[in-house]
Amino acid sequence: MNRDKNLPLTETVYYILLALLEPAHGYLIMQKVEALSDGAVRIAAGTLYGAIENLLKLKFIQPVGSDDGRRKVYHITEEGKKVVMLDFERMKHMIDVTSNKFK
Amino acid sequence: MKRFRIYVDLDKEEKWLNEMANKGWKFHGKCINYEFREYSPDNAAYIKIDYRSFKSYDDLENYIALFKDSGWEHIAGTKTSGKQYFKRIEETAGDDIFSDISSKAERYKKMSNMWLSLAVCYIPIFTALVLTKAISINALLDPKLLYYTPGLWQKTGEAFWRAFLFETPFAIMRGYIWLLFPCLIILYFVFAVKAQKYYQKANPKNLI
Repeated sequence: MNRDKNLPLTETVYYILLALLEPAHGYLIMQKVEALSDGAVRIAAGTLYGAIENLLKLKFIQPVGSDDGRRKVYHITEEGKKVVMLDFERMKHMIDVTSNKFK
Repeated sequence: MKRFRIYVDLDKEEKWLNEMANKGWKFHGKCINYEFREYSPDNAAYIKIDYRSFKSYDDLENYIALFKDSGWEHIAGTKTSGKQYFKRIEETAGDDIFSDISSKAERYKKMSNMWLSLAVCYIPIFTALVLTKAISINALLDPKLLYYTPGLWQKTGEAFWRAFLFETPFAIMRGYIWLLFPCLIILYFVFAVKAQKYYQKANPKNLI
């Protein structure tokens, strides 16, 4: 079976998608990613904006209505959830084979 | 104070703007020229440049809000200007507006595409000028053809010089203004290639 061409996701994209399981605007995504990664992944504004644009293009996330006029709010799509799960399975497989090899 | 410069190398441009701020010239906008206002020298000035154009003002606002939230103030740039200038306003903002190499390099790719599309836009205009014979190659070889004053070349002395100098600006416009198009096309291509080179240099992944 052909693997999804978007795999593997980068660490940044993976965490952004995880953060967007609940709707969030840009700065909130940054804070959530930092918390989810125990402070290891800090996304800068320029990088985040570019990543959001790419994810919107791929339809992994979508804009949702917000009360805050200036700040756009995004939410993960079904497509986005699917790709996170696929990448999760990929990593799980890597973890399984690695632990077997080192047993 | 106004300064005219064209930068393809964004690192050099950032460095120049910071140096100007150190000397007390605060960069506050760009419209063909870089515009500076005199201020007390600011040694802590820290300016970074992104390259991005927007479909709507809402998108630009949203973009500016994201930077502002994370400690960067938008100081120059419009919806379609490409270059967007940011100044660090909070120490917690970190050292850069990018956190990985590829997104930082991506700026040069966008810039290269912009110069390339500008160059390509001028090609049809230039072609039309050639095809409609608006451009005369003969005039390049024999500039005398560009002077329309009857009997100009038979005149002598002051009368000749007066008529000759009077018509020269018109002759130049008539004969050579079209050279602007190929010059711009070449210039834009040079910028596009230069930006592409910076892109490859900044993004080591592309060298493999």
